[in-house]
Amino acid sequence: MSIPKVVGIEQEYAIQLKGDPALSAFEASCMLVNAYAARIGLRKEGMRILWDYAHETPYEDIRGRLFRKSPTQQVVHDEDNLRINAGLPNGARFYTDHAHPEYSTAECLGARQAVACDKAGEIVLRQAVSDLKALCPQVDVSLYKNNSDHKGHSYGCHENYLMDAQAHEDRLIRDPEAAARTLMPFLVTRQVFAGAGKVGGEAPHSQSASYQVSQRADFMENLYGLETMYARPIINTRAEHHADADRFRRLHLILGDANMCETAAFVKIGATQIVLQMFEDGFIDEDWRLKEPVNALQRISIQHDVAVALEDGHRLTALQIQRLFLEKAEAFKSSAGAAAIPDYQEILTRWAELLDGLERLKLSADFDIEDDPGNLAQKVDWVLKLWLLNRYRNARDGSWDHPLLRVLDLHYHRVDNLEGLFYKLQRDGMTQRVCTDARIGHFVDHPPDDTRAYFRGHCLQKYAKEMFLLNWEVVGFDHGEVHRMVPLLNPLKGTRKQFEDIFTAAGDSRELIARLQAE
Amino acid sequence: MADTRQIKKPKKKTGQKKTDQQEQAAPLSKEKEKKLKELDNYIEGVLEEAGEDFLDQFKQIEGE
Repeated sequence: MSIPKVVGIEQEYAIQLKGDPALSAFEASCMLVNAYAARIGLRKEGMRILWDYAHETPYEDIRGRLFRKSPTQQVVHDEDNLRINAGLPNGARFYTDHAHPEYSTAECLGARQAVACDKAGEIVLRQAVSDLKALCPQVDVSLYKNNSDHKGHSYGCHENYLMDAQAHEDRLIRDPEAAARTLMPFLVTRQVFAGAGKVGGEAPHSQSASYQVSQRADFMENLYGLETMYARPIINTRAEHHADADRFRRLHLILGDANMCETAAFVKIGATQIVLQMFEDGFIDEDWRLKEPVNALQRISIQHDVAVALEDGHRLTALQIQRLFLEKAEAFKSSAGAAAIPDYQEILTRWAELLDGLERLKLSADFDIEDDPGNLAQKVDWVLKLWLLNRYRNARDGSWDHPLLRVLDLHYHRVDNLEGLFYKLQRDGMTQRVCTDARIGHFVDHPPDDTRAYFRGHCLQKYAKEMFLLNWEVVGFDHGEVHRMVPLLNPLKGTRKQFEDIFTAAGDSRELIARLQAE
Repeated sequence: MADTRQIKKPKKKTGQKKTDQQEQAAPLSKEKEKKLKELDNYIEGVLEEAGEDFLDQFKQIEGE
């Protein structure tokens, strides 16, 4: 039986530095983390909350020992740990990953909440830039929420979805064909509404592309695998579930683009939750296996309405495949599984609107938008960006080779809401919203109420001085004579409903633990 | 915005004339025209501020 599809988004941001040639991207990322941590009071004297890496197993593969990598585990010393990491009172983690600032949202129950938390992450990053500027006026940092530097380097927007352990075992590990028949065709084709758009190509197969639907498609090479920085797979098989693995597993997707448009992000996350729920419940028994999924992913990115081959010999477009899933989702809506997904009907409605819009979208061979009666340019990043680029391009010589088109592409994703082109369009009322600014602002400071993020966030809000470590599945308190650990092995427990009264009553973490033990 | 897109700007490279259909499309309201002009100016400003070497300097390290 399927369980609620708790979701979290991990966004790596591109970082551009000016003003201090000696400053590396890694150092600047760490400075951002610490500037923000200081702003919210997490760097006061005596406060040392480490990120606990004990549960991270990047070399273990869900498919078993044959697939594992040789561990070259590095010990992260406490000073480096503090420099790199900040667990936030809103349940998120803000940290440095390689040389990128990364923001992982708290665990969210629904798609709208996940979009709001992801957007709250942009605000956190903006505040960090502003705080860093105040501390080091000579350093000029700009951040971009995208997935490519247009020079062949990519960075991710990963999605994590909670799965029932038995379903994960049966349908992903023991019978990967089940995923190939259903989940994989959905993931390969969802880019038609979830792609962020990109000028040009960065892989041998896409060198002649003027414009692509997806930022990440050029970098996807496999169906399954452990890698994240080369030979990237559609489904990452890292056996790192951040929960009690006997009951819960994590589906770790690394193929998605970073969305600026709220509608695209909402439908991407919501539709993925629904398809995953149907997959776990065995509701899809059709066989929609793609003949060459990775090739299909890349071809659709270059031409959104190209027909790709299924194993059974049929040829369907991404839109047609998405319609098959939408039809199943309509039939699934009265099931118990559907009831566990917040905003189910709204997801279906908006998903259908996007597919209808794609059906009627007319592009010329040179990517001019000839007709967009579904107003996709208010909802879908790759169409909105295309409209913007065409405005500039067609006012000049119409060529896609103009280098400034790539500059515009990057500036569409700039996080600074006064400088970024997406935010200019949003300010002008040219984008559709699914979250209010107030709701997004709420998640800058507060965790979601209905997952374990509530518990973790409130520990940081009330007892940060007594904490010495945390990660997704544990909160640790330093009680002098003893370290007390509170495990958070169930992402669905630790909610406001369960713990609000306890947090209100408990003056310190000793009292919190006493009350937890008395429960 | 959808309305504005129905009137395609002619491309300089082709010297294409507007079709009858495009001629018949609803004219832009003055307010929209103003907004689009402002957007064009904004884009120019962004590009100017970014500078000619922006793309060369925008180098990222491979991420996950």
